[in-house]
Amino acid sequence: MGLLDLPFIQNAIIGGILIAILLSILSLFIYLKNWSFINVGISHATFGGLAVGFYLGISPTLLGMLFAVIIGVLIGYISRKGNIHEDTSIGVLFSLSMAFGVIVITLSPNYNTDLFTFLFGNILTISRKDIIMLSVFTLVSIIFIYFSFRKIMFCCYNEEVAYVSGINTTFYYYSLIVIIAIATVLSVKLVGVILSSAMMIIPAAFANQFYWHYKGILAFSVFFSIAMVLVGIYISFILDLPSGATIVFIYSAMFVAVVALKKLLKKG
Amino acid sequence: MRTVLYARDLTVKLGGKVIIENVNLDIKEGEIVAIVGPNGGGKTTLVKSCLGLVNVSKGYVEILGLQPHKAIKTGKVGYLPQKSEIPHNFPFSAIDIVMFGLVNVDIPEKEKLKRAKQYIHYVGMGGFEKYPYSKLSGGQQQRISIARVLVSEPEIVFFDEPSTGVDVVAQESFYDFLKKIRDEKGITVIMVSHDVGVVGKFVDKVAGLNRFLHYYGSPKDFFQKHVLQKLYGSDIELIIHSPECVACEHFHADFKGKS
Ligand SMILES: Nc1ncnc2c1ncn2[C@@H]1O[C@H](COP(=O)(O)OP(=O)(O)O)[C@@H](O)[C@H]1O
Ligand SMILES: [Mg+2]
Repeated sequence: MGLLDLPFIQNAIIGGILIAILLSILSLFIYLKNWSFINVGISHATFGGLAVGFYLGISPTLLGMLFAVIIGVLIGYISRKGNIHEDTSIGVLFSLSMAFGVIVITLSPNYNTDLFTFLFGNILTISRKDIIMLSVFTLVSIIFIYFSFRKIMFCCYNEEVAYVSGINTTFYYYSLIVIIAIATVLSVKLVGVILSSAMMIIPAAFANQFYWHYKGILAFSVFFSIAMVLVGIYISFILDLPSGATIVFIYSAMFVAVVALKKLLKKG
Repeated sequence: MRTVLYARDLTVKLGGKVIIENVNLDIKEGEIVAIVGPNGGGKTTLVKSCLGLVNVSKGYVEILGLQPHKAIKTGKVGYLPQKSEIPHNFPFSAIDIVMFGLVNVDIPEKEKLKRAKQYIHYVGMGGFEKYPYSKLSGGQQQRISIARVLVSEPEIVFFDEPSTGVDVVAQESFYDFLKKIRDEKGITVIMVSHDVGVVGKFVDKVAGLNRFLHYYGSPKDFFQKHVLQKLYGSDIELIIHSPECVACEHFHADFKGKS
């Protein structure tokens, strides 16, 4: 029996591909909007929800989504208002949720393995149910993004101008935040909360090393993320490493190498 | 002639500070109006309040007979914001930018592309369609942005410091270009500028703003010592003697005569 015949490997591969597609598309917007901080905030905050769900024996995914969406909207609201020093308030908010999550999860019996899974991902835990949820959500998100793509890009270009052109910029702003929040939770089993934000930050930034235009960036980051996730899953399985850490390690190492190489070539 | 911008006692507070106060304006269709005044005088704020981008604290403003948030929904209002720095990795081509101007225009994609190209030609940027926007010069970027504003065929446009990034030598021909747009398209152009001197030659009306609207009328009467002094205070010398002040030639004569 080959590796690919194992049901959990199949789940991991299908789930991994879906997550790669979803997160790399989102990475374009996060990159253009300079949202990496908002994104890190959401992913840390998610942890609080997952932990409470885990402790209470209610679906961690569901509670995680609830937390992520609420805190995501809150972070979005604060940084949109921009009158408080936004970095500080966002920082406090997500640290609070993360710390709270760690405390809650520590109170549960056998917390060690689960804590590790939440933080860094474990492909063996991806179930059929997860795949179904992921497929539905990825499909809905892609349809939404497809039909509002130019409007969203217009908002990325200049939100005030987009507003004056009659676009409901507030709607697109919060829609993107909600999609990012839910995508974060759905990708936890593969990459973990800490590294899910990396999977939404690296792809577009990496693709931008090769392509200047957003279409090229989008196509390349989807393609390359799928490749990285598959390679990462394979290596993590063979070497028995956490999947998220493996994927993000390879991806970031690649990124650093390319940037360094470009710098060197420019000099030489 | 039809009034296209009407403001009464327009007052805007930002962060607890009054930025513009009791501004009254009545701009007619087809006019080209320059809003001038010192830096921080509230020019950008006035434009933003006309577009619904900042809240009005007192009084009101109407564009094309509608409240700002309704007027912008008609697609007849164009806006070129004050130029901000473009990140080096800005991933849009010139035609992408112009196509943004057509997002809410209900025509097939093919028509949109055709029209975008037409307007790129119109602003003298033909051939640059696929070029990265960030690699264009400041003046070229402004031309593309103006094409983005015009492509939706608005009736009234707001240009906030459109000549930013245009080099000094090209300034005059740039303003000629704006005047040509007004003449050919018959649209109302409201333009913010801090180079009073250059602007005086090209516009129908000047609005001198420094928190209050100190002056609103023809450029001819604008260049008087008491008007400029009220608007610019002690900076007046700087304005008159700036090398860009084309209209100051006649003004120097007047200035000497009257003082
Ligand atoms: N969001 C804001 N909150 C508080 N003050 C503001 C805000 N925006 C602008 N200002 C202040 O309003 C004044 C006028 O700004 P602005 O309209 O940009 O002037 P101008 O365009 O004439 O240079 C400035 O002193 C500026 O600091
Ligand atoms: Mg300004």
